[in-house]
Amino acid sequence: MTIRTRLTLWYAGVLTVSLLIIGLGTYRELSEQLRRDRNRKPAEHAIAETGELVLQVGLPAVLLGLLGGWWLTRRALSPVAGLTEAIKKIHERNLREPLPRTGNGDEIDQLAKVFNDTLARLDESFNRTREFTLHASHELKTPLTVLCGEIETALRDESLTPTERDRLASQLDELRRLARIVDGLTLLAKADAGQVALELEPVRLDELVRDNFADTQILAESQGIRVELTACEKITVRGDRHRLRQLLLNLADNAVKYNQPQGRVTMSLRRAGDTAEFTVANTGPGIPAESLPHVFDRFYRGDPAHSSEAESCGLGLSIAKWIVSAHNGTICIESVPSKLTTVTVRLPLAQKNEFRL
Amino acid sequence: MRVLVVEDEKKTASFIRKALQAEGFAVDVCHNGDDALAAVRVTPFDGIVLDIMLPGRDGLSVLRLLRERKNATPVLLLSARGEVNERVEGLNAGADDYLPKPFELAELVARVRALTRRSGENKSTVLRVADLTLDTVTHRAQRGGTDIELTAREYRLLEFLMASAGRLCGRMMILEKVWDYDFDPGTNLVDVYIKRLREKIDADFEPKLLHTVRGAGYVLKEQP
Repeated sequence: MTIRTRLTLWYAGVLTVSLLIIGLGTYRELSEQLRRDRNRKPAEHAIAETGELVLQVGLPAVLLGLLGGWWLTRRALSPVAGLTEAIKKIHERNLREPLPRTGNGDEIDQLAKVFNDTLARLDESFNRTREFTLHASHELKTPLTVLCGEIETALRDESLTPTERDRLASQLDELRRLARIVDGLTLLAKADAGQVALELEPVRLDELVRDNFADTQILAESQGIRVELTACEKITVRGDRHRLRQLLLNLADNAVKYNQPQGRVTMSLRRAGDTAEFTVANTGPGIPAESLPHVFDRFYRGDPAHSSEAESCGLGLSIAKWIVSAHNGTICIESVPSKLTTVTVRLPLAQKNEFRL
Repeated sequence: MRVLVVEDEKKTASFIRKALQAEGFAVDVCHNGDDALAAVRVTPFDGIVLDIMLPGRDGLSVLRLLRERKNATPVLLLSARGEVNERVEGLNAGADDYLPKPFELAELVARVRALTRRSGENKSTVLRVADLTLDTVTHRAQRGGTDIELTAREYRLLEFLMASAGRLCGRMMILEKVWDYDFDPGTNLVDVYIKRLREKIDADFEPKLLHTVRGAGYVLKEQP
């Protein structure tokens, strides 16, 4: 029950009680008057007259009061509805935009003020975290460069035994993986801080998909995985070519990596309403239902067995999600464990006039 | 070949110098932009490795000043930030190449070598390594007179490797030139394509031409 209904009901109750009191008062007054007039049937007359009065005057007054009350509460609570709408739109990226205030200093205005202060504090703390990640990833790059460079220099030494060489090479592999993680982190930290500018232009998505399909076939070949492109409609979106290619390769690579030998990868690109819909489905172990909501989280690994997967950096899907959101699109994942896992990306189509540019 | 390395981080500067010296380059090192500008005034270099983040005058403004003074020495920019925008900004300011940190040393050396290679070294439309030929006009590949069927991507890969024959090609460099990727996809795409290409151009022929340099990249040449 909304506050408005509740207040209106209470108000109706109060009005009814007042009506009763008024009725009772009127009845007494009337019977008194009638007795003084020495009427024979004072009681019946008084009741009838009171009833008439209450019906003809009291009831319309109550109805009017009720309507007025309903209107008043609605008016009083309308800023709350506005506030609710404004608060609904808050997410971590627009904390800086304060809620609209009436400025008249009433209770609701006070509430908005307090809420804005809270938002400002939250925004500051979010910023601090973002900046920390950004600085941390920058700071990590210099020592990583030094380490990689020195190991590579060491590997040039002809006098190394094969064991030493293997050990160094394996260290170098791990360092490079670390470097990729740092790269991914930097990218995401920058995206969070709104520091990555996309180079938007009309992009023929079908061409990118075909290109990516060819690469995926090659990637899948050694594991006997069959790759199919079931549909590839001619579609133009407004986007950043490099980031879209990164997105496609990222999804395709996952579909191959988390597959089974002799498995299957099916891709399609279709027009769906005013969006371009790209899907990648793959066979393989799949993702348990409880992990699905978290797969786009940074460093989330549903299956602990995957944590030793040397090739992935744990940021692939987070980056994919960022790329899709930056293009005002949506990405979702469905999985039937040990059957089929499907990722669906929807991107808004380019406007007709952009198409010609 | 004389190369100037401008890098404030001493250790990084030191191993870059060692690696380039090992490849037969004469190397000078500066730790800040003003020293670099002074060095360039007195010594003609064949190439400059320039870090963007320098104390005082940063790499980009050093580069702009160089170009303003009509100095056309090829410049390879290094950056720890690795932003796409920065790359574009650097190339617009007159850089010839750009490498984000942390880079692979072999990659850096390969790029410096490509940078300092005299232009017009290979003007022919037919590339040739031993008995392997590639016609860049008709896209026809042959080894020992036998035609080799190549997909579009394989063709571009082979073209790149043959154009840089004898020089090491790092994975990032290949991804950039053949795939036009400006990011590290974290896949073994390059290795898989190299394997396929090797099956086509090397499997049935001697001597082998396409060699792997462990932890560094690939090189196409006649001698191992």
